[in-house]
Amino acid sequence: MSQAELGQRIGVTRQTIAAIEAGKYSPSLEAAFRIAHVFDVPLDKVFQWDVKSSD
Amino acid sequence: MPYREKTAWLSLLAMAVTFGPYFTMTAARSLPNEPMPNLRQLGLFAVTAIVQLLILGAGHLFLRHGAVQEARMPLDERDQAIMRRSVSSAYYVLIAGMILVGCIMPFTSSGWKIINAAVFMIIAAEVVHYGVVVFSYRRQA
Repeated sequence: MSQAELGQRIGVTRQTIAAIEAGKYSPSLEAAFRIAHVFDVPLDKVFQWDVKSSD
Repeated sequence: MPYREKTAWLSLLAMAVTFGPYFTMTAARSLPNEPMPNLRQLGLFAVTAIVQLLILGAGHLFLRHGAVQEARMPLDERDQAIMRRSVSSAYYVLIAGMILVGCIMPFTSSGWKIINAAVFMIIAAEVVHYGVVVFSYRRQA
């Protein structure tokens, strides 16, 4: 699935998907759930929180 | 490059090619103490504002023609976050400028010096606004 297609399905731009993939932008909880829903997987399969890098 | 970054570049460019020369000419020419309204200065300001509007109008039409679908899309959550960040940054520049122009300058200056200082601070705030937009899109934040 392309970034543009995923963006279209969850209502954001291709650039926003690229920024999320690059770890430059943290999506809202709603957008995160939408992405997980598109791939039909639990949220923690798509997004992980690295405690060390956030300290 | 996202459509909204292009429009921010356009706004920066329009300000640079209009108000850049305006402030250069105004600073180079020591302002005579002509009585208000100084029609020559007023004319220069009017021409500058009209040229800026024309550049922005033509530029937006050109950019929209090249990306009709993207231009019609509403702001997504990242666009809104960038917009909030840029507006709040510009707010501090504008409020500092208005304190300077409205509360301090009346004790030392008058007439077009105050008007030009106010216009300069508004332009500075706009530059910060669009600068933050461009910077945010550039670093994908």
